[in-house]
Amino acid sequence: MVKPTHLLLFCTVIFLMSSCYKLRGHYGGPQSFATQSRLIKPSDVALPAWYSIEMVATGLTYPTGMTFDEQGTPYVTESGYAYGEVWLPPRLLKINADGSTTQVAAGDKNGPWTGAVYHNGFFYVSEGGELEGGRILRIAKDGKTTVLVEGLPSMGDHHTDAPIVGQDGYLYFGQGTATNSGVVGPDNYNYGWLKRYPSFHDIPCKDIELAGQNFTSDNPLTEAKGDKAITGAYLPFGTPSQPNQVIKGAVPCSGAVFRVPLQGGPLELVAWGLRNPFGIAFSPENKLYVTDNGYDTRGSRPGYGSGDVLWAIEPGQWYGWPDYSGGQPMNTEDYETPDKDPKFLLAKHPNSPPKPVAVLGVHSSSNGLDFSSNSQFGFQGEAFIAQFGDMAPEVGRIYGPVGYKVVRVNTNTGEITDFAVNKGKTNGPASEMKHGGLERPIAVKFNPSGTALYVVDFGVMPMTEQGPAPKQQTGVLWKITKTTAK
Amino acid sequence: MNKQSLLQINLTLVIWCMGVLLLQSCGSARRSEPIIGPLALQSQQLENGRQVFMLNCQKCHPAGEAGLGPPINNVPLPGAALRFRVRSRAFALGIGRMPSFKEHEISDEQLDDLVKYMKALRRHKTKPVASAKRLFPFLA
Repeated sequence: MVKPTHLLLFCTVIFLMSSCYKLRGHYGGPQSFATQSRLIKPSDVALPAWYSIEMVATGLTYPTGMTFDEQGTPYVTESGYAYGEVWLPPRLLKINADGSTTQVAAGDKNGPWTGAVYHNGFFYVSEGGELEGGRILRIAKDGKTTVLVEGLPSMGDHHTDAPIVGQDGYLYFGQGTATNSGVVGPDNYNYGWLKRYPSFHDIPCKDIELAGQNFTSDNPLTEAKGDKAITGAYLPFGTPSQPNQVIKGAVPCSGAVFRVPLQGGPLELVAWGLRNPFGIAFSPENKLYVTDNGYDTRGSRPGYGSGDVLWAIEPGQWYGWPDYSGGQPMNTEDYETPDKDPKFLLAKHPNSPPKPVAVLGVHSSSNGLDFSSNSQFGFQGEAFIAQFGDMAPEVGRIYGPVGYKVVRVNTNTGEITDFAVNKGKTNGPASEMKHGGLERPIAVKFNPSGTALYVVDFGVMPMTEQGPAPKQQTGVLWKITKTTAK
Repeated sequence: MNKQSLLQINLTLVIWCMGVLLLQSCGSARRSEPIIGPLALQSQQLENGRQVFMLNCQKCHPAGEAGLGPPINNVPLPGAALRFRVRSRAFALGIGRMPSFKEHEISDEQLDDLVKYMKALRRHKTKPVASAKRLFPFLA
């Protein structure tokens, strides 16, 4: 007789092995950054009724953000650096009416440039700073560049993020953390930076007291076989922590939102306890919001099931990293992996983290953010978010592609609704679906009149067995408009 | 009932399970507004259910499609099974699992709303007639 448990197990195996339920694995062949052709077909993108999409520019290499000057001319940042350890000069490009580009400025190998904002004759560009640390650059239209902020802790997993100008005359921007969840580990070696900067680690914005959690991992920095390292939170790789050890806070720090006067001046902390606040925007009511990438299932302290988050930013608040996810404590079975339970790293928490506005797809990489402010476009007051798409299986195993689209969020209810998605039986990037739609949307920006939503599409980036393989000259700038009044 | 009969019943059950899982899992789970159109929620209970879904389910099953977890729009579980699934924790060969939601996280009343919403979302798909018309335009 077949036991019910065996029956259940059998069905589960069939369920998982079925082609329709297989876990997402590596794809894209051997790792290569070479240019490849990309089909562009706006009709492969599905939008709500009365909206249409068109291609504005193509052939961009790793575009990450955009802005408009006083004439409404679009400009795009190309990152230069990209995951997979590809190093090119980051650039600020003007998008001409015919879709061609004109270079305004270029950097050295200190990308990624993650975004720009134009204000009163200058572009303010976030320089990610993978090699030399993050900076905020002020670039005139003739390309003359000065440094507004430097020395930001950006040589790790995450970088200095896109800027925005507030009505108060300050430039606001996010800063990502060095690690996934506070502990430097072999995953950071795989990213490339631990070998370059073996003493780099996360920095708290204010004094914190550690619980004394330590993590034993392989030591990729030595040749010795079986060599292990013990590492504590907020400490260099191979340095254990002690219970009640105090780590001094400092500014600049990791995982925070900062502001700085547009004319330059001291860096001010706005909020902290974030992981990677990539997208930043003021709502029509002048409230500051950020998108924040959730924890990955990787490294010495993996977490499971951590969604990306849309936060409303309250000055002075701590938002929970590295012990909370979307306002919920991580030391619960909800976030544990098969072999690890992410216990609290901090002995005391600065405050109880706020509730998120919305929790977006796990591993969706919800990045660029902007608000609709024009009734002519519709969805007035809602947040639009570009979802870059998952980097599975490096960040964790998933059942189906997550992200690769633009969603809108009602900030009053937290309701998330797809806005621009690829057509097809399942979700996914155009290159996998063998059509000409969206690949990896990374930023969204309304034009100054609010009548058109521009979508910056990073381009083709498969996850190969050797790591991410971003393809040069596959980036696209899209434009979405409402064609008929509903 | 003899051993032989029980074996036959179990085998039938296995085949039925396989059939349901394979057939249903291969049906599209897409209910995305740009593709299918907006889901009109006709009652406050459905509105409430959507709120519960957004807070607890959306991050792993975006709009009921596959994500961290498998798609749920194309699995025809009855209400009781959905309730059991939400309340119970499940591992699947150590590679994925869904947390259980206790009553302090999702109350019984909210669970009723959620199940109602999930069923409405499941039903919100391209009508077979419309599909047939696409395949066989002469039917129009």
